[in-house]
Amino acid sequence: MTAIEARALDAAAEHGASVRRPFAWLFAAIVIFLCLVPFLFVIVISFGEKIEGAAWRWAFDATNYRRFFVGADWPATISFLYLQKMWYSLYFAVIAAIVAVLVAFPFAYLITRQSRQAQTLWLIFLLSSLALSEVFIVMGWDILLSNRSGLPMVLRETGVTDWLKAEGYFDTLRAWGLANPRDVRFKTSDFATILTMTYLVFPYAVILLYPGLSRIDPSMVEAARTMGAGPLAVVRTVVLPLVAAPLFGTVLLLFVYLLGVYVAITVFADPAKQTLAVSVYDSVRGATLDAPFGSAQAVILLLTAGGFLGASLWLKQLAERPA
Amino acid sequence: MTGRVVGRGFLGMCALFVLAPIVVVCAAALNGGRTMDFPPTDVTLVRFVEFFVTEEVWVRALTNSVVIAVASALLAVLIAWPIAYALWRRDSPAAKALAALAALPFALPPIVLGVGLGFQWGFLGALGSIWSAVLSHAALFAALPLVTVSIGLQSIDRAHLDAAATMGATDGVIFRTIVLPQTLPYTASGFFFALVLSFNEFIVMFFVSSSAYATVTLQIFNSLRNGFTPTMAVGAITFIVVSVVAFSLVARFGDLPRLMGADPARSS
Repeated sequence: MTAIEARALDAAAEHGASVRRPFAWLFAAIVIFLCLVPFLFVIVISFGEKIEGAAWRWAFDATNYRRFFVGADWPATISFLYLQKMWYSLYFAVIAAIVAVLVAFPFAYLITRQSRQAQTLWLIFLLSSLALSEVFIVMGWDILLSNRSGLPMVLRETGVTDWLKAEGYFDTLRAWGLANPRDVRFKTSDFATILTMTYLVFPYAVILLYPGLSRIDPSMVEAARTMGAGPLAVVRTVVLPLVAAPLFGTVLLLFVYLLGVYVAITVFADPAKQTLAVSVYDSVRGATLDAPFGSAQAVILLLTAGGFLGASLWLKQLAERPA
Repeated sequence: MTGRVVGRGFLGMCALFVLAPIVVVCAAALNGGRTMDFPPTDVTLVRFVEFFVTEEVWVRALTNSVVIAVASALLAVLIAWPIAYALWRRDSPAAKALAALAALPFALPPIVLGVGLGFQWGFLGALGSIWSAVLSHAALFAALPLVTVSIGLQSIDRAHLDAAATMGATDGVIFRTIVLPQTLPYTASGFFFALVLSFNEFIVMFFVSSSAYATVTLQIFNSLRNGFTPTMAVGAITFIVVSVVAFSLVARFGDLPRLMGADPARSS
């Protein structure tokens, strides 16, 4: 190829690129507009100022953040109301994420030991329940735990409630907030909240653990078995060390997901134990109509979620780095 | 042997746990009265007719849900494809940055995205229109086709590409004859994932709709405040059927275990 031909080819290639470039920029602009700008709006408005009525105006002060951390009347009085909501967000999310992973780990492991076809069926089953709206899941558990036709009714009709009363366990349940003077009751309780939240993320947990577990070489397990290790010993000495990092990463991801749960909390959590997500909703769309303060809470939720997400990505990189 | 029995039992228990609320909701739809009893009393299928045909509120909500789910899933695929392709071809910092941006809405709490999109559409005067809802869900779920298409592109045998290039095929021809056909199942999978999740999504839609219209999930949530009705449960059944059909299609035309990250070498 002569130098002139090469130059001509370069020019042609460059021409092609310059035709495509405006499209690339337009495309990038669309992605930024849809995926980044909404978050910027939340951040900017969180520094705004509420006007009486339902409106707000641009401003730049940290009043909303001060209200979040120490209350609106600080320094005259101090209130940790919103920090408390934050605490409940973390509390419910951590417990539900850990419980979900504890159940999902053996479940996912057992699935990966089955035939490819059986695995496919299990995956369809899990994905269908995963896709199911939070609204329906809450609806289902609400019926299952309701006094009229749910678990309390079953316990009452089968005589378990009477037995609990006779044996004195009923008082323990009342102390845990799981019974009223006459009956076992689950609405509202931490138990029902955590149960529903665990249910929400259980399919996610299985699907997140599935790749790591399905890549475990069966010959390693067989080798351990032939050397006399029992099934549990195999899990402890071969499987667990291989998936320890994904296991922890999964807990983190589920935790971040659960920070945003809304319907389950409003229906099942005690009114005194509402979380930040509910409070954001109340501020922006609910009774108070304080968009800037709602945004400030959303920013704090965002930073918390982003922080944990970053941690999980970092862990993943750490695990994938060749030893 | 006892180990296997315990394992089976455990899987069964988990399946039961997952099924319990779904079965209850479906059964509740059969109730003849206006209450959500379980087991259902006075069994009837009238609620299905109400949901799909006679009650205008539900019919309109269902139409909205379908329009938004299909359009936003298509759009999500259109957003995801160029990013996945750029990542695969060049892996440039720009492509990486765009991929990270497209993953952002799905990774962070949806309520924050919902609040932000609510402000954004409010400023543009588009709050409460269906197309802004379509764009919102496309943003939220673009991450799904991005992942599936990327997996599809990585599964293309490089030898095919080299062979085509040696025989003088241009980029465009290679794209049409090799890349597109081989990634089609993965593209379809991404589309169905986005479709199903959009169909079921609640919180972003709540902020974006601004009560101007309702989707089925929104309509159910609104009705929740006034107590349950069996007609709502019909909505739930519709959703389950849509999910099972969509994911079965994904499994039928694509390799579901592979999509979910199983080792491709062990396709026994």
